[in-house]
Amino acid sequence: MAKQIKVASEGLNFYYGEFKALDNITLEFEEHQVTALIGPSGCGKSTYLRCINRMNDLIPGTRVEGRLTLGNEDIYAPGLDVVALRRRIGMVFQKPNPFPKTIFENVAYGLRVNGVRDKQAIEQQVVESLRRAALWDEVKDRLHSSALGLSGGQQQRLCIARALAVEPEVVLMDEPASALDPIATQKIEDLIHELKKNFTIIIVTHSMQQAARVSDRTAFFYMGRLIEVDRTKTMFTQPKNKQTEDYITGRFG
Amino acid sequence: MEQRAHFHKKLEELKMQVLRMAALSEKAVYNSIKSYLEYNSDLAEDVIMGDIEINDLENAIDRFNLELLALDQPMAKDLRSIVGAMRITMNLERLGDEAVNLAHRALFLSTRPPLPYNQKMEQLTETSKKMLASALKSFVEEDVKLAEQVCAMDNEADELSLKILKQYINDMVTESRIVERGVHAIMAARHLERVGDLATNVAETVIFIVEGENVKHRCRG
Repeated sequence: MAKQIKVASEGLNFYYGEFKALDNITLEFEEHQVTALIGPSGCGKSTYLRCINRMNDLIPGTRVEGRLTLGNEDIYAPGLDVVALRRRIGMVFQKPNPFPKTIFENVAYGLRVNGVRDKQAIEQQVVESLRRAALWDEVKDRLHSSALGLSGGQQQRLCIARALAVEPEVVLMDEPASALDPIATQKIEDLIHELKKNFTIIIVTHSMQQAARVSDRTAFFYMGRLIEVDRTKTMFTQPKNKQTEDYITGRFG
Repeated sequence: MEQRAHFHKKLEELKMQVLRMAALSEKAVYNSIKSYLEYNSDLAEDVIMGDIEINDLENAIDRFNLELLALDQPMAKDLRSIVGAMRITMNLERLGDEAVNLAHRALFLSTRPPLPYNQKMEQLTETSKKMLASALKSFVEEDVKLAEQVCAMDNEADELSLKILKQYINDMVTESRIVERGVHAIMAARHLERVGDLATNVAETVIFIVEGENVKHRCRG
């Protein structure tokens, strides 16, 4: 059965002022798959990720060309509701950034912003999101304590729960475990395996081992270009491109 | 900028160790053939004694491979090089064993009158030596074409071995006094044919290391 394409870009260019940070990126992301974006610093992988939920719109002097779609909808269509778009495409950042509120309120926040008023529905969704983020067992007795009292790994899973609470279709992760210790990293990685059953995940990571462990497909970016994309198993055992081979075997980067 | 220089140095060291083992195994095969053809029991004894060093080296390379896998988490060609080194050392150790087996045949036959001349047996020794030399050269030089030539020669060794079997059976039917020696000679041909098989395994592994393609059981002529 053919896989559904959830997100796709075609000939995507991105500019910071005069600087062309992404050059003609054509790439497809299958539904319920984890795709890892890898490449050396400055290769454009985070810029690409941030194009998908239009986070780059917030940076003055930037410009996008080409086409980027979510399902059949053009992400850069004029008049598109960006807030609604970001509800469908959640994001988790490198450093956990919980709000200075309770654990419960952190997860409930997105729901409230989206106009959900039903207390019972909010409570149900908070519990469900915390369960999905594999955090429920650790926080169920202190839902109304400050989120800032959680460990770094717990805070990151809280941020994932917060992203999941509004039922996004796609979750973008920008180096979600780079600030975490190995145990917390392992929990996030296990979580990613679980989450792909319900969500489409795109993850930027500097750790090739992490990309190999968590993703189904891997895309290698270099100097703003997409060099190679393939099944992760193939990319890390038998890459076709010499630059990919040299990068993942540590011969440059 | 080279990011994993230390690891790549260790990979070079691994290849050097495998080459050292290859040299020992090749020498053992050559000497066992020489001892067989020349009824040289001293040389046969040397081959048998020398196998300990090959076995020890296999264990050392195994340990090194495990360390590299556990500590350096290699990928792509680096990963294939390590997996390839594991496969090649396993085959080199078996080559050492075949050399020992052939040396035992040589030891036995050195105490008996010579068998009737068998031209095919000489051909098989040459084919086996050539296959092994080419397989090892293909590993040193990462030469896929040469490796493919080795694979294509495997049938030749098999056919020669079969012809030798038939020839010795005929000889034994005609002359029953040579049966015991004939059986040893048939076994010797079998050892030589196995040398060809193991050389082919090495050549297939070279193709895997260089191109990432698994040609096991597919490329033989």
